[in-house]
Amino acid sequence: MIGSRGTGPAYLKYLLILPVIFLLLFLSSSSRSGSDAAAKVRERGTLLWGGDAEGGAPYVFPDPKNVDVLIGFEVELAGAIAKVMGVPARFVQNAWDSLIPALERGDFDLVINGIEITPERTAKVLFSRPYYVYTEQLVVRREEDGIRGLADLAGKRVGTLMGAVSQTMLQQAGGVDIRIYSGVVEPYEDLALGRLDAVFLDLPIAAYYARPNPLLKYAGPPAGEGYYGIAIRREDASLKEAVDGAIDRLLRSGELRRIYEKWGLWNEAQEKLFHPDRSPGAGASGRDARDAPLVTFFPALLKGAGITVLVSVVSMGLAVALGLLLCLLRHYSGGPLRIAASSYIEIFRGTPLLIQLYLLYYGLPNVGITLSPLLAAFLGLGMNYAAYEAELYRAGIEAIPKGQMEAALSLGMSRRLALRRIVLPQALRVAVPGVTNDFISLFKDSSLVSVIAMVELTKTYNILAATTLRFLELGLVAAFLYFAMSYPLSLMARRLEERLAGRTR
Amino acid sequence: MISVRGLHKSFGKQPLFRGIDLEITKGEVVACIGPSGSGKSTFLRCINGLEPFQQGEIVVGGVELHSLNREKPGRADREAIRKVRLKVGMVFQQFNLFPHMTVLDNIIEAPTRVLRLSRNDATQRAVGLLRRVNLERKIDSHPSELSGGEQQRVAIARALAMKPEAMLFDEPTSSLDPEMVGEVLSVIQALVEEGMTTLIATHEMDFAREVADRIVVFDQGEIVEAGTPEEIFRHPKKDRTLMFLRRVLRRNALPPG
Repeated sequence: MIGSRGTGPAYLKYLLILPVIFLLLFLSSSSRSGSDAAAKVRERGTLLWGGDAEGGAPYVFPDPKNVDVLIGFEVELAGAIAKVMGVPARFVQNAWDSLIPALERGDFDLVINGIEITPERTAKVLFSRPYYVYTEQLVVRREEDGIRGLADLAGKRVGTLMGAVSQTMLQQAGGVDIRIYSGVVEPYEDLALGRLDAVFLDLPIAAYYARPNPLLKYAGPPAGEGYYGIAIRREDASLKEAVDGAIDRLLRSGELRRIYEKWGLWNEAQEKLFHPDRSPGAGASGRDARDAPLVTFFPALLKGAGITVLVSVVSMGLAVALGLLLCLLRHYSGGPLRIAASSYIEIFRGTPLLIQLYLLYYGLPNVGITLSPLLAAFLGLGMNYAAYEAELYRAGIEAIPKGQMEAALSLGMSRRLALRRIVLPQALRVAVPGVTNDFISLFKDSSLVSVIAMVELTKTYNILAATTLRFLELGLVAAFLYFAMSYPLSLMARRLEERLAGRTR
Repeated sequence: MISVRGLHKSFGKQPLFRGIDLEITKGEVVACIGPSGSGKSTFLRCINGLEPFQQGEIVVGGVELHSLNREKPGRADREAIRKVRLKVGMVFQQFNLFPHMTVLDNIIEAPTRVLRLSRNDATQRAVGLLRRVNLERKIDSHPSELSGGEQQRVAIARALAMKPEAMLFDEPTSSLDPEMVGEVLSVIQALVEEGMTTLIATHEMDFAREVADRIVVFDQGEIVEAGTPEEIFRHPKKDRTLMFLRRVLRRNALPPG
């Protein structure tokens, strides 16, 4: 009792220290200034460039013929720039939506990965002179006739990439049901499956992923011209100079044009690269979001928290019921049903939840079963946790003395009745602490469903942070929201356990 | 009422019973005595279908149980076992009350769910039985709030609520503190005096001697001898009986405390 009383306040104390630690880390990383970054790169002998090769075609992606080798127009661009600087280039993998914070943290020297030059980003990092003029392309299903441009998107489900300019443009269009993805393969998958009405992404992406797909077509002309720039830490001005010089040389020598032509990306718009007007890309809007007080994000975060609660509660309900069925089949049935239940439990406990979610959402459509994100989330989490609940119930049943079943049988009760009225009520009581514990775990695991286009709390945080680049403050708010929900939950669980314990023995 | 013929039972390869015969007539009171592990508990459990047996037959009030060799008895066997259980009530050494139910619910659970009695009728029956075991005031308590003696008396009332034709008592006082043994035995005695057919496995020699019509001595899975209390306690025919009685009676004869 003394121990458990001690843990509460201690835990809270740690929670208060947490922001301070974060702040220190934050300060320490940004104070590490490169006096002469370009010299440092030469000294080190490699240029480290960050990007996301996952679904990264045609920018940077594994060669289908030899997946150990990365190819893409940006691989060639990085190589060419490094060559001008007199060093080899080395790629560093990082999720696209956190490339900028990773750059600030110092994971690599620069980012070349279709980063659009926007005011929000310009406030955070330096940009090289533009190296590509991009446009955004709307893609729809082959049979779609009603959507010809951004103006037709009101009320439609439109997929885009988290933190991309296309996302901002969709938000400005108004009334669009925006579905935000972390990768570029999945939205086109979902579009082909009918889970989306359109996808709005950068033209190079559409050219590689959508154009070859006979189920999809371009809708309307490209929109929202803007520039890709190479992102460099603010303090590394010398590196920016070196990179700008390199780009200039590649432009004038025609090297850059050769690369783009090789990838089918050259068009007339690229002529503007010679006289960049420095005006930021199409999606200029985030400035307000960047300076807005934190409170402005609360409605979005709270909505995400609501989804988190919904997903957790429904999944747990499913897990509790399905787990009971599995447990009973495993221990009181015979033959194939028993084997099926055992296999289910072992397989679901022995494979990662993330893979189960992917299979449910992106795998099942291959055999003709297309689930909505919400249903897939319920099923994925519920079916996974059911295996764990079944094991908890089993432990509960095994904890009940044999004499209970025997006494019930000796009174003429059938096995089934004895199980339902005598053994299970006691066994479930034994299982309660484990089940409530699992509920809290599931509550946090629910963030995994963001991989199947569910915008719950973690995903909301990712989106807001990627748009505003305010990873620290928003992260603390999101973490606090999780804690504010899970702490009362564990208090309630403890009270429930105490009440049950008081009643039985 | 209960007849056992040629009962064979083994635990895995370890044989316990190699042909046991016993007849119990209606209204008879039979006490099984013998050292721990001699098989008297298992014998009772076979009669109630809680233990499978390999050979022989057990007939309870006209219902026949044949060898129940299989792990999962067939449908006909299950039906027979259930009928037997409705004819005989059983009281366990560990009471086995349902801890998540009140005393009343413990007693009316089977009458309402198995016999389909209305809750009112079952409650009336339960109140009457609790009066008989002198525990009316505990009707709303949970088992954890009762002493061992009280729990065992509730367990007896629970078994009686099914209106059995016979009762099996499996060492009903063996896990009780000494001061509670008396209250349980007097309940059993009252029951016996009303003419309930009773088979009791017990270590209480005085009690066995007083209430039983017949004493059956078990040792190593065999019935060593059977007879009236007079015959067994005064003039045992077998050495094994004598040795067992000497052991337990000497212990019991020691001055208290």
